[in-house]
Amino acid sequence: MQPKNWIFTVPLRLRSLFRQPQADQELDDELRDHVELKTEEYVSKGMAAQEARRMALLDMGGIEKRKEQCRDTRHVNWLQDLLHDLRYGLRMLRKSSGFTAVAILTLAVGIGANTAIFSVVDAVLLRPLAVQEPSRVVYVSETWRDISPGLSIGNFVEVRTQAASFESLCASNSASFNLATDDMPERVDGEYATASYFTTFGVPPMAGRVFTAEEDQPGHDQVVVISERLWRTRLHANPAVVGHLLTINGLRYTVVGIMPASFDPLLSLSELWLPEAFTPQKLADYDSHYLNVMGRLKRGVALAQAQSELNLIATRLLTEHPIDDKERGLRAIPLSTALLGNQKLALRMLLAAVGFVLLIACANIANLQLGRSRTRHKEIAVRVALGASPQRIVRQLLVENILLGLAGGTIGVLLAYWGLAWIVVYGPAEVPRLAESRIDALALAFACGVALLASFLFGLAPALRAASLQLSEAFKEAGRTASGSRDRVRSGLVVSEVALALVLMAGAGLLIRSALLVSHVDPGFATSNLVVGRVGLPTAEYHAPEQASQAFERMVAEVDRLPGVESAAVVSRVPLAGGGGDNNNGLLPEGKALDPANLVLARLQIVSSAYLSTVRIRLKVGRGFRPQDTRERTLVAVVNETLARTVWPGQDPIGKRFACCEAGPKGRMDPVWHEVVGVIADVHSWGLDRQIQPEFFLPIAQMPPGAWDWIGRTMDIVVRTRNRALPARDLQAAVAAVTPGVPVYELSTMEHKVAGTLQRSQFDTFLLSIFAATALLLSSVGIYGLLSYMVAQRTRDIGIRMTLGATQGQILLQVLGYGARLTAIGLAVGLAGALAATRVLSSMLFGVGSTDAITFAGVSLLVAGVAFVATFIPARRAMQVDPMVALRYE
Amino acid sequence: MSKPSDLVQGTLDMLLLKILALEPMNGFAVSQRLKQVSGDVLQMSDGSLYPALHKLEQEGWITAEWKTSINGRRAKYYSLTRLGRRQLEKETDNWGRLSSAISRVVKLKEA
Repeated sequence: MQPKNWIFTVPLRLRSLFRQPQADQELDDELRDHVELKTEEYVSKGMAAQEARRMALLDMGGIEKRKEQCRDTRHVNWLQDLLHDLRYGLRMLRKSSGFTAVAILTLAVGIGANTAIFSVVDAVLLRPLAVQEPSRVVYVSETWRDISPGLSIGNFVEVRTQAASFESLCASNSASFNLATDDMPERVDGEYATASYFTTFGVPPMAGRVFTAEEDQPGHDQVVVISERLWRTRLHANPAVVGHLLTINGLRYTVVGIMPASFDPLLSLSELWLPEAFTPQKLADYDSHYLNVMGRLKRGVALAQAQSELNLIATRLLTEHPIDDKERGLRAIPLSTALLGNQKLALRMLLAAVGFVLLIACANIANLQLGRSRTRHKEIAVRVALGASPQRIVRQLLVENILLGLAGGTIGVLLAYWGLAWIVVYGPAEVPRLAESRIDALALAFACGVALLASFLFGLAPALRAASLQLSEAFKEAGRTASGSRDRVRSGLVVSEVALALVLMAGAGLLIRSALLVSHVDPGFATSNLVVGRVGLPTAEYHAPEQASQAFERMVAEVDRLPGVESAAVVSRVPLAGGGGDNNNGLLPEGKALDPANLVLARLQIVSSAYLSTVRIRLKVGRGFRPQDTRERTLVAVVNETLARTVWPGQDPIGKRFACCEAGPKGRMDPVWHEVVGVIADVHSWGLDRQIQPEFFLPIAQMPPGAWDWIGRTMDIVVRTRNRALPARDLQAAVAAVTPGVPVYELSTMEHKVAGTLQRSQFDTFLLSIFAATALLLSSVGIYGLLSYMVAQRTRDIGIRMTLGATQGQILLQVLGYGARLTAIGLAVGLAGALAATRVLSSMLFGVGSTDAITFAGVSLLVAGVAFVATFIPARRAMQVDPMVALRYE
Repeated sequence: MSKPSDLVQGTLDMLLLKILALEPMNGFAVSQRLKQVSGDVLQMSDGSLYPALHKLEQEGWITAEWKTSINGRRAKYYSLTRLGRRQLEKETDNWGRLSSAISRVVKLKEA
């Protein structure tokens, strides 16, 4: 079709489109005129008028058909056809409104669930981090044995100097700060960050500036950068805040800049940043490994390149600092992996689950469509006679299905919107960026795509089948039973639905059993009637270690005096409270050589003397701490069973000594010995489902002086109450009496904190169970639908069989048997699939293997039971067929 | 009534265009004239005539007009366009080359 012909043909085509009735009439006239003239010709040749007319019509063939062919030459037809198909499809769907309603609802559930979960996956995993060119930002950590600690300050400085792969490197350390406001001081989260922190991420401040290089030096670091959130909520969006002074931890800092609310590179919800100005003393520290180090790769440098450079630097560090950097390597991973990597498994599992639900929904609708296609045979046959080509028929059926798909998709998006709102509110707090999930353009496009895909899935097969039927067959009476192959397809669909539902149920069952087992784990201490809060002393006022220790001890005494309090204590980190860093120290048992390879990694807990009795941890051997355990006496320690077993297997640990935590007067190699005086029972400090680590306890009065820096002068205060309630303000007042201006934060009961650790796994379990239940419901509806249909189709057969002597019971058993066979095959396929699929869940399970026989047997029985009910109802109907009515049925 | 068995579609179009080049006429007249001029050898079935005519109209080689004919009847008259005339010349040339080539082959002396 040459371009130059356009001028002539476009008006023609448009005329076809817009003045179609008139064009149609003209075409009709033209052809009829021809038939008239042909008839006259025949008459003039001597034929009878009637015969002549018949011959003329025969010569033309079918007028409608020729009209269709003429219309086909106008290529603008596709638009006309589409509009026509749409109108026709809507009419057909309105006619079978029951089917339409069921189909749209089923699709809405499937598409809605998929869209909601996709939005979550998008917000948490897929969206790039809100920094400049996120693909170039990496997270650098050390590697030691099988953990990945942060970098020591010395190591960080070396890497920064030596590494050429990075455009910039920065370090930060999370901390909590006391921010003085008009009334009560508040606790805000923030970070100490080196000067290049902001430039590494490349996000400009929304007001003011970021740190300069000079502010990295001690003495010039009295500046702070705040977040937009802090500015709006606690500083009342004061436009002149840049240049103001803020009192943080008792010291004055000048606000130099405000970062926009979108800036949260470590997903830590930091509200302010103070300069991490390393003193010369800190710069010489190669021993404490805790810094978060981030870097931006130079343009064109691959991660692998940077990794090999880091490996070289690590080897160099090892030779220069053989003690501090023994067994230590360096590792660089993309920042997004570091922050989000551990969310992948759960989210992928949920995405697979909703995918299964959608497949089951599509199988149901396909089954319904196949059943409907029988009744539409006549309609299609008439259309074929009127000149419709098979492609046209298929196209029209597809359009009808797409209408269904889009309608289901629209309602599905509504469902997704509500479902997502619920997930954001009730979802686990620890999933980063969950609150950012929303139905945006991408989610809508996804929903659209899924709707179209679903339409094809459930619509293509019935459409093709309908189009290929023979004219003669369509007009046969419907008394015959359905053709065998159609039944096989429908049965196959139902079997696959049952199989998919079983896989989902198996996964949900395993997770439920895990959750139940975890909730029955004995934490190792009495969690009821225990109140926990956190107190952080400002460095300025409580700089000296004795000041800090005395403050906390006085605090304990003050709280002890409160009415309703049985006992009180402080501990550096209460078990199961979550949050906070690890305080891992290396222990050197007496008798082993002074070599880092002999260090045993254990968690340090600093406690007041009443801690063990307040929290009610069982003392197995020896004693707890006494008031006499001060710095002047022997340094003592209490260890947990795991530590005793690891370091002194088979021996009595009482009296044994180990060195840790501080250097003696003669320097680093001069060990300071602590003597073990007691062994306590193991406590699940990190989580009810986590393995128990070695732990040791030191009394607050014998603390290593440097320890206050490690724990940030922050301790947890634990209070055992006599009855339930301890008013929060009583506790606040007691603490304030000792340390005015210092708040108690994260105050709640121990039970609440324990529930918090379980929140994540319980949420995942809950969601998966919902999806599994939906899948089971949909597949049982599928079974019910198929069997009802078959019973209705075979009513005549049943009637015949009854008159020939079959009893009601036999008919019942026959239908039940068919249903049972389908279910059994579905269960078998499903079990095989589940055995393979649940393997991916193993890291999420506790106390059960991924092929746990009890769970599998249980869910199989449940699915079989539901399927039986779905089979029974139609079977009963079959049984109740009245032979007389059935035989009359046409 | 069968189509001439060894004609290709382009040749058919050429014939229709040529008929319409003589004078504007309606579809019935075109098929009559074709039959008459070729001595009943070339006959188009009614069923394929109109789709062919509509296709030619689509391509812009002929144009249609509703006119009242001599005996008071309303009929759709097709006539050749300028583009159509050029297409006709092209097709005629092609046909000439094709037919002389075939003739050359057919006239080869058998051994």
